[in-house]
Amino acid sequence: MRKTRKLLSLLLALTVACSLAIVSASAETVELPRNETLYFAGQQWGTVVGWNPLSDDMNNAMAIVQSSGGSRTLMFETLYMYNMLDGSLTPLLADGDYVWNDDQTEVTVKIKAAAKWSDGTAITAEDVAYTFDTNVAIANNKGNTYSPYIDSVTAVDESTVLIKLKLNEDGTAVNPLMLPCYLCDCYVLQKAWIQTVEARCNNDATEIKKDTGDDVVWSGPYTKYYTDDQKVVLIRDDSYWGQDESMWGSLPVPKYIAHVIYADNAAGQTALKAGEVDVCQEFISNVQDLWEKDGLPISTYLDDAPYGVCVNMPTAYYNMEIPALQNVAVRKAIAMAVDYDAINQNAMTGQSPTFTDVPRSCMNPTDGEQSTFDHEAVADLQWAGNDIDGAIALLDEAGIVDTDGDGIRELNGENISLNACCPNGWTDWMAAMEIVAAAGQKIGIDITTEFPEWSVYQTVFTAASQTEYDIFMYATESSTPAQPWSRIRQLMSSEFIGMEGNWSGNFGHYSNADADEIIAKIPSTTDEAELKELYTEAVEIYLTEVPSFSLMYRPNVFYAVNESVWTNYPSQDDGRNIPPTDCTDGYGIAGLYGLELVNP
Amino acid sequence: MKGYRKYFRKKIIWFLITFAAALLVNFLLPRLMPGDPVSAIVGKQAQGVTSATAIQDMYNTYAKEFGTDQPVWKQFFTYVINLCKGDMGTSFGQYPRKVADIIGSAIWWTICLQFPAIIVGWLLGNILGALAAYIRKGFDKVLMPVSLFFSSIPAFGMAVILLVVFAVNLQIAPVSGGYGFDMIPNLSWKFIVSVIQHYQLPFWSIVLIAIGGQAIGMRSMSIYELNADYVKYARFLGIKDRKIVRYVFRNAMLPQVTGLALSIGTMVGGALVAEIIFSYPGLGTTIYDAVTTSDYPLISGSTLIITVMVLIAMFILDIVYGFIDPRVKAAQFD
Amino acid sequence: MKNTIRQVFHSPKFVVGFCIFAAILLTMLIYPLINPGDPLEMIGLGTFAEPGTYISLYDSVTTDTRTFKIADADDNRINSILDSEDRVNMVNWFTVNDIDVSELDISDTDTLLSMWEEYYDSSIKPAGMTKAMRNYYKRLDSNIAKVMNADILTVSEEDEDTGETEEITTIEKTDYVNVDDVANVVTLPLGTDNFGRDTLKELVSACGTSIKIGLIAGSVATLIGLLLGLLGGYIGGFVDDIVMFFTNVFTVIPSFVLLILISYSINQDQRGANTVALVIGLTSWVWTTRAVRSQVMSLRNRDHVNLSRLSGHSLMRIILTDILPYIASYVVMAFILQVSSGILAEAQLSLLGLGPRTTEVPTLGLMMNWAMLYNAHLNGSWWAYFPVILLIAFISFSLNLMNTGMDQVFNPTLRD
Repeated sequence: MRKTRKLLSLLLALTVACSLAIVSASAETVELPRNETLYFAGQQWGTVVGWNPLSDDMNNAMAIVQSSGGSRTLMFETLYMYNMLDGSLTPLLADGDYVWNDDQTEVTVKIKAAAKWSDGTAITAEDVAYTFDTNVAIANNKGNTYSPYIDSVTAVDESTVLIKLKLNEDGTAVNPLMLPCYLCDCYVLQKAWIQTVEARCNNDATEIKKDTGDDVVWSGPYTKYYTDDQKVVLIRDDSYWGQDESMWGSLPVPKYIAHVIYADNAAGQTALKAGEVDVCQEFISNVQDLWEKDGLPISTYLDDAPYGVCVNMPTAYYNMEIPALQNVAVRKAIAMAVDYDAINQNAMTGQSPTFTDVPRSCMNPTDGEQSTFDHEAVADLQWAGNDIDGAIALLDEAGIVDTDGDGIRELNGENISLNACCPNGWTDWMAAMEIVAAAGQKIGIDITTEFPEWSVYQTVFTAASQTEYDIFMYATESSTPAQPWSRIRQLMSSEFIGMEGNWSGNFGHYSNADADEIIAKIPSTTDEAELKELYTEAVEIYLTEVPSFSLMYRPNVFYAVNESVWTNYPSQDDGRNIPPTDCTDGYGIAGLYGLELVNP
Repeated sequence: MKGYRKYFRKKIIWFLITFAAALLVNFLLPRLMPGDPVSAIVGKQAQGVTSATAIQDMYNTYAKEFGTDQPVWKQFFTYVINLCKGDMGTSFGQYPRKVADIIGSAIWWTICLQFPAIIVGWLLGNILGALAAYIRKGFDKVLMPVSLFFSSIPAFGMAVILLVVFAVNLQIAPVSGGYGFDMIPNLSWKFIVSVIQHYQLPFWSIVLIAIGGQAIGMRSMSIYELNADYVKYARFLGIKDRKIVRYVFRNAMLPQVTGLALSIGTMVGGALVAEIIFSYPGLGTTIYDAVTTSDYPLISGSTLIITVMVLIAMFILDIVYGFIDPRVKAAQFD
Repeated sequence: MKNTIRQVFHSPKFVVGFCIFAAILLTMLIYPLINPGDPLEMIGLGTFAEPGTYISLYDSVTTDTRTFKIADADDNRINSILDSEDRVNMVNWFTVNDIDVSELDISDTDTLLSMWEEYYDSSIKPAGMTKAMRNYYKRLDSNIAKVMNADILTVSEEDEDTGETEEITTIEKTDYVNVDDVANVVTLPLGTDNFGRDTLKELVSACGTSIKIGLIAGSVATLIGLLLGLLGGYIGGFVDDIVMFFTNVFTVIPSFVLLILISYSINQDQRGANTVALVIGLTSWVWTTRAVRSQVMSLRNRDHVNLSRLSGHSLMRIILTDILPYIASYVVMAFILQVSSGILAEAQLSLLGLGPRTTEVPTLGLMMNWAMLYNAHLNGSWWAYFPVILLIAFISFSLNLMNTGMDQVFNPTLRD
């Protein structure tokens, strides 16, 4: 009896071992070959939902990201690619530059002959037109963003697209600046595939946006390979049309693009240090310690501070509905007293140009935007910060003093007590708010910080009426073809006052008729001198009235690369003019074509 | 058996009532949190949109789909009815994934992490505690303060220290994740080894603290038992220690079994800190993310699963207790 | 009573625990007197300054000097920027660029440095060398240049009116300054945290706040536990069933999840340290209730209680005079454990970002939270989180030790 039992258990063990061997032999790639895979971090948080670019909820950071500052063209492609370094548009699916008509009301775009879908069919102008119409019909984010400015997109012939802008009553375009945004923002999807989706969803907009699109047809160099709650992997499509001479001339170098889903920043950075991540889009405090102290082969776009290209300004907005903040002296005094160098050092750990290097305005530090206004005219209005004496003098002059000796100044008999808010967990913003609060204490204004969760914060600061936060933070727009006009509009336009669910700007509800006039004029102005005057005036209003103030300069995407497996990443001094957008966004994707192995 | 029937009936009734109350609390609590999750979803989709009517339309569509525009009691009934069909709703934060989907993929990691950790911690801790009680002298004097110190280290402290020492500095353990960063899950030997490797640090961070706590408890119970009259009597009779010890530890085990059942029930939420620090997938991180994104259905779903597990554990415990504790059996025939 | 206290203080475990706890409390009280100031003041620019003594460079430049001729001063200077790995790398650079190194002795610093000065060119990009490596050589080169300075450094001041620079003083390689003579010397035993705050000062202050929170939470939890346990245990019947029902519901919903939910519901502006303590107390009474209830239930049938009942004493009187004194020792022990777990719960809550506001008072959990947010555990800034963990462990340990000591006194069988 015992012998049989022994025999049976032996047999069982053998069977298990054999099946394991068989299964593992027949399994697909168990391991991604390290020298064929490019690993990312800091883009994908949470599990991928699907592959349908018509939906805004797919949570698919590697495949579906559409943005006027540079869309991610790994799997789906746009007509043009935006380069934030010089604001240029490089043709991708398009053939050559786009052509305006004489009235600046229509644009013609040609499609490359070589452009093909993954199923072999050619990309036609009909695809472009149908994608635009569908976006508008199902009212997804792209549809809602561009339908106020673009009237129609039609196919003149197989390879020519005619885009007609919406017109004002006087026949001029409502906003010609939005057109180049559209060209580098929106993906072009295959008409036949969209029609399949529409058919199976019975043309119901909500269902279309919930469809996971597992059968999607793509045109980009990569497609889906594997996804679960721990990682997402894309594999190169070796029949990619872009290897044609008219485009890149070769295939991108990495065969796999992988992104492990980390729980938080710390895990991603540890993986970067261990060489498990090649390109990291995370804010790494004291990033220079990684190579200076730890001796790791990690580098950033710039070798020295500020290590990256900053393109937006996290801004502290004043709630204009608070009586104390309606007094310009209070607003300016607080803004003057804040120690921006401390914010730069503590919050950004030196990864931002200081306000002495790039004096404040409405423009970001890139050369393109800095050259749009007259620096000398506004030099007197710009302050560098930590000017406690100046702030105190300003307040004393305005008659705002502390009469009851409790250390806090009063306005109209009441202590000036404000809260400074930003979402919980955004560490550099939290540090900045702490420094603003400290500045307030020094000049006799009581400021306390509050860090509500993001889900609460986003409901409150986008409300039609600001009731809870007095000083609160939000980012400005980054680098897009419509800057710096769009940012000025975001900071000062009164068209957003009273809007429920306002994500567009002017969250403090500031109103200035002159500013509105300038904002209305700029899009249709083409004369360079006139434009410069308008921009300079806008900056003057912004720095005098101080409806909000910039706290620091910040990149839109962070960029740190590990050279333990791959090298020849884009960097500032390599002459290729590739922006530091993690080798995936806008023209940054050119980086993928130039990568080399360290040990081939 | 008649006595048992009354015992079980009473237990089942209270079990059901507690379950109903827990269900209600699970449903209500998340909804007391501030923040409107529907605007969270709309917010994501409204970036760059400048038309107020479009945003309002988006809001209305989602509010209707999630039923947040209905009164709370109606929402509760819809919830219960869906629950009976096995549908725990659609997540807000990870829209449009289904809650059952999310929990299903997360729960296996948590169970596989916590279950063995608790059993091993319980076993090792009890053995150590029993030994200390039996041997006394030097072994006890050392073990007692050491295990007390270990059980005083906060859970996150242990996790961070293990992470820093073994993963970052000595680099003998992986830093994060459930399996190797370059692996694709399948049934191969390499993959299983990778999973086991990644399992080590979270496992030990829980076990070390559990051992500490269990050892102390078992030691107290064992000492108490070892000084009982029947032990002294048996010793005087000349019965070998080996035989007596078996009875002693069986008696000392009883309260420990209670502790084990309770910890199995709460294990799901208990690994929260370890999961966050080690970036390990599981129900703990799911709950935490759900709370920070005001994801009602996901929170309700997760806490419901935990509640059900604890209730089942307690129920089984009560039944098992009825069989193994002779005092309960005796009480039935009173 | 007096006898019990004397016995308690004779128990070695209790004494050790008590001493540790007392030491922590004393430090908490005395340290702010020696080192006054706002613990939340940001004195440092930049994050995580290492522990050590920082000497004001400005002041030491103008302080009187003495001349010392130390034999290995030069070697120390060079070795501080050029370790053995750097030398090997320099030789590698020569090899990659086809420079003859066959006669080079790596320990011969002078020849190595002069060869480096002669041949190194930062614009060369050798094939197969990563950008990180090229940058490393650039940094090495500038470090070497710093050390190869002239023998005398000059410190000059810019005249505000004329814009010309005037020499104030010269510094020679043999000049040394007595640290006691320098006007401004800052000692930071635990460096600074991510905000540039003195970590030790913050730690001491945070300790106080955390213990206070633990005390409030512990008191609340013990009171509730005591009340419910007494009622359920003594009165029994339906009241007992209700108490057990509530206890079960609270057991079944994981207390930590409950804590997260409640903390999250309270808006941050109302979330002061006291509120958090209250919330922790309100969610952690379950264990105490059970323990008290089982004790009271076994006490219920004792002779003296039966006697009081027969004598017709009121419920209140029986509970106060016959039951409470017997469970007093148990309640005290439970209180201590509740304080310990209250401190732990606050630390865990703050770690998740759900603790008290950050600008008012530091707590141990908040310090951990910021340290984690800024990845102190990953960039080697051990002073930002390790002392916090140790302190929490020691507070908990000392309280538990006191508890065990008292347990031994009240349960003689557990004595050694």
